Amino acid sequence: MSESPVSLGIREAQPGITVIDIHGDMTPAAEDALMDAYAQINGANTVVLNFGGLDYMNSGGIGLLVMLLVRAQRQKQRLLAYGLTDHYRQIFELTRLDDAITIHDDESAAVKAASG
Amino acid sequence: MTATTGSSRRIPWLRLPRGDERRTRRVDRQAELDRELAAVESETPSIDIAPHDPVLAYFQGSPEPVLVDQLRIESPGVQALRDAGVTLVVPLVTQGELIGLLNLGERLSEQEYSADDRKLLENLAGQAAPALRVAQLVREQEAEVRRRERYEQEMRVAQLIQQNFLPKQLPATSGWEVAAFYRPAREVGGDFYDFIDLPDGRLGIVVGDVTDKGVPAALVMASTRSVLRSSAQRLVEPGQVLERVNEMISQDMPPNMFVTCLYGVLEPSTGHFRFANAGHNLPCVQTEDGAVEVRATGMPLGLLPGMIYEENEVVVEPGRTLLLYSDALPEAHGPEGDMFGFPKLVEVAGVSGDDVIDELLTELDRFTGPGWEQEDDITLVSLTRAAMAQDAFASTGDDPGRPLAAFTIPSAPGNEREVMERVADVVSGLPIDADRLDRLKTAVSEATMNAIEHGNQNRSDLLVEVRVFASEQALLVRITDQGAGGSVPDSIGDPDLEAKLRGEQSPRGWGLFLIKNMVDDMNVFDDEDHHTVDLILRMDGDAHG
Repeated sequence: MSESPVSLGIREAQPGITVIDIHGDMTPAAEDALMDAYAQINGANTVVLNFGGLDYMNSGGIGLLVMLLVRAQRQKQRLLAYGLTDHYRQIFELTRLDDAITIHDDESAAVKAASG
Repeated sequence: MTATTGSSRRIPWLRLPRGDERRTRRVDRQAELDRELAAVESETPSIDIAPHDPVLAYFQGSPEPVLVDQLRIESPGVQALRDAGVTLVVPLVTQGELIGLLNLGERLSEQEYSADDRKLLENLAGQAAPALRVAQLVREQEAEVRRRERYEQEMRVAQLIQQNFLPKQLPATSGWEVAAFYRPAREVGGDFYDFIDLPDGRLGIVVGDVTDKGVPAALVMASTRSVLRSSAQRLVEPGQVLERVNEMISQDMPPNMFVTCLYGVLEPSTGHFRFANAGHNLPCVQTEDGAVEVRATGMPLGLLPGMIYEENEVVVEPGRTLLLYSDALPEAHGPEGDMFGFPKLVEVAGVSGDDVIDELLTELDRFTGPGWEQEDDITLVSLTRAAMAQDAFASTGDDPGRPLAAFTIPSAPGNEREVMERVADVVSGLPIDADRLDRLKTAVSEATMNAIEHGNQNRSDLLVEVRVFASEQALLVRITDQGAGGSVPDSIGDPDLEAKLRGEQSPRGWGLFLIKNMVDDMNVFDDEDHHTVDLILRMDGDAHG
């Protein structure tokens, strides 16, 4: 298969708060990369998705986020997001993903919400 | 002196100008005889007597040996005989027709011809003349057979040329059923038709007829076709196209030849057919009240340079058919000598459904009766607009606007990105704000993805067609797949995140929901082979929030 259209970086923003930096496309082709990245997170109770580097997301990508959300809820983890463009923010609202993945303007706001 | 035989055309000592049959190859004995004859010809002076020379009438009237010196006629023919040293002429007459002259010079003994000599020569002439006539007839017949073989050969060549240039397949125009019927007469006429793919999904349609038959007509047809094809790509207006074709072919048109031709451009999405006509039959279109002919005038192509061609336009409504045709069917003769006629053609076309061609041929059979020999090439071309297309435009009116783009992509995962970017490029000049453009891009991408995955089952040999139209009111993006996978099930209501999180719904299945919410309107329609999604974005701006 072709290269993954997405590259994901994992870093700890604060103890218990892990950020996944997303660069590229959120499409079904990103499934393995996203699930691998998620599997590497240990002990965090909050996962923050940084969409600042997102080029494109389609319905398949939304499907992936739902899968991620299902896993996170099983682990009793919270999912947060920031860096979404207005367009994708609208899509989050439309799909009501924003009820489950709270959206913030930037990383500090997200981290503050998570630790607060 | 020598006496020879041969047909009048070939008698060396008398040339009656009767056509220009040259000797062709013969076999065996005939060749041998010909060689001998040629040897004789070469050493015998040739005497030309014009067919109206009075001496010929005299010889025909008194078929007996005549001394040239005793002829009481003065004419160029008599002079020619004298100049050639002919002393005695024995006319060869059979059944009252002069078919040759036996010309003798002086006797070798230098004595005069005796009465016995003349009697002998007269008897000889009496027997030789009918034999010579038979030989002439045989040769004429052989020549006729050769002429016919050559003619048939030419007809075969003409047929090959002509059929080579007829379309090998019909255009697959979305939402239209295109049919063509072509049946050559035994002697090929010069009918032709053609379909030309034009930019933006438009379709050029040609029906024409070259006067004359055979190879010259076939060659004129071939060159007209290629000039038309290249002009149609360069020029938009059908009238301009015919003007240009006329300019180009007028230069080299053989005398007494010309081409009648109808050229039109169909806008498949709206049914508009704009055409110009160079002396050809008028197009016939079905309407609510039967079929009507639509007029546009112009001189046939190739007669005179500098001609102007009037244009006209007709709209083919959904479920209706446009018919183009050549003379042969309306001008077919019945057993009583009466003509099928144009009114009958229009009448039959008007009451036919979408199978106008079949109906017309059935009616033609009934009219001509059995054993009819087709007089000229029959060409019929029909374009039927799909009836269901009507629903597709229900929300925007019949006219989706002016076409901005039309293209296809193979059905491979990921190609939706390309479609998305191309559509974004195409609409970049329109007054659509960034937010709405993003929504459109997402909708286009999702709809294309559905077409690739569901409609075309990811088969790269199947294409997704994309068309973009703009009007004052709305932007329309039309995405069509081959429908092999059936349409995407419009799920039982919207996807529900809660249900998905509870595992009661698949986490996927957001595509159609997104599309519906990204654009102002979405219409879906199917025909037998296609599934089409129309995405409509209103120009008056405010997106639903």
